[in-house]
Amino acid sequence: MGFLSASASFTRYRIVEDVPESLWPRIPDLLLQNAFQDIDNTHDERAYGWVSIDSMLDTEWSIAPAYKGEFVAFALRLDTRRIPPSVMKKHYQIALEELSRKNKEDGKSYVSRSQKQELREQVRLRLLGRTLPVPAVFDVVWNTSNNRVFFASTQQKMLPLFEELFTQTFQLHLEPLTPYFLALNLLPEDRKAEVNEYEPAIFVE
Amino acid sequence: MTTDEFDLHKASTLSPYIGQDFLTWLWFKTETGGGLFRLSSEDQVGVHMEQRISVQGGEGETKDTATSSGPQSELTEARLGLRTGKKVTQARLRIEEDENAWQLQLKAEDFSISSLKTPKVDMRLEEGEDPDARFLEKMFLIDKALQVVDELFARFVRLRFSADWQTELTAIRNWVNS
Repeated sequence: MGFLSASASFTRYRIVEDVPESLWPRIPDLLLQNAFQDIDNTHDERAYGWVSIDSMLDTEWSIAPAYKGEFVAFALRLDTRRIPPSVMKKHYQIALEELSRKNKEDGKSYVSRSQKQELREQVRLRLLGRTLPVPAVFDVVWNTSNNRVFFASTQQKMLPLFEELFTQTFQLHLEPLTPYFLALNLLPEDRKAEVNEYEPAIFVE
Repeated sequence: MTTDEFDLHKASTLSPYIGQDFLTWLWFKTETGGGLFRLSSEDQVGVHMEQRISVQGGEGETKDTATSSGPQSELTEARLGLRTGKKVTQARLRIEEDENAWQLQLKAEDFSISSLKTPKVDMRLEEGEDPDARFLEKMFLIDKALQVVDELFARFVRLRFSADWQTELTAIRNWVNS
């Protein structure tokens, strides 16, 4: 779900460093260098990277550039192949029975632990290749007037992935605008230490 | 300067405390002050907590949550929760300015925003209009709601770290018991 939808959910960040002026014109190139690469024709389990905010298929910003007024807007696309556990179980069982039969013909009465492990991995890879990656897209909006960044997800597992890719792409660090950091930013330098000593208020006597 | 491990640890421990105190204070403010706030821009906005407030107390196994859904006057479960020391962990805010209204769900522990609804933006593109116009208008509206939230939080922080907090605390305690 993105920012243009009727109901938006997101996490807010502040860029910690001063953004060098020289970065602005380089943004399209940096996005391209870390753009999403399709895994439809591979066996990869997961892939992620930047795409245009206007279309998850546009990895070259051919529809429109990422600059929109005072904002830089793009999206994080994450494709994941997931094998349903029951499918995995079934195909592993088929493969295991076949291997047991083969082992017996070779005079071995059992399948060793390492053989099972290897078999499980073979089955997993084979099934991955037959599973379609499920795409997910999360909008990113960077307000260049105050260097705040909005990421359209509140899922705890998505946040570190986004933060790392952002830092890798722009060499800038993100600080989440949680109550603690917001309070720190609001207080003068000589009083910041008080936030670290915060005692929850007691509203009942 | 980058965020170090110490900060991150402090942030995850202290954020829920600060966020819960803020939302509980805000509930008190909106209910006792008629919900009208004058912003630094001189604009006057109405802020109300509505429909859904969750309060929580205790930790670990003794954690206990009460949630109220309904118009503000009927948030009985959550109000009773406050009396047993629970605090607001999640609130749905309604912000009004002139005839415009915003709604958003704010989580105390990390201030993540969910279900933010802005006044309607006309999604049809007029001929000759900048293709980014809808996006820019929508971002302007989203920002407006967040400015209100940030300004209310700034007000809370200034008060919370000042000598005036004791007076406010007494007033909140009286409200909780009323």
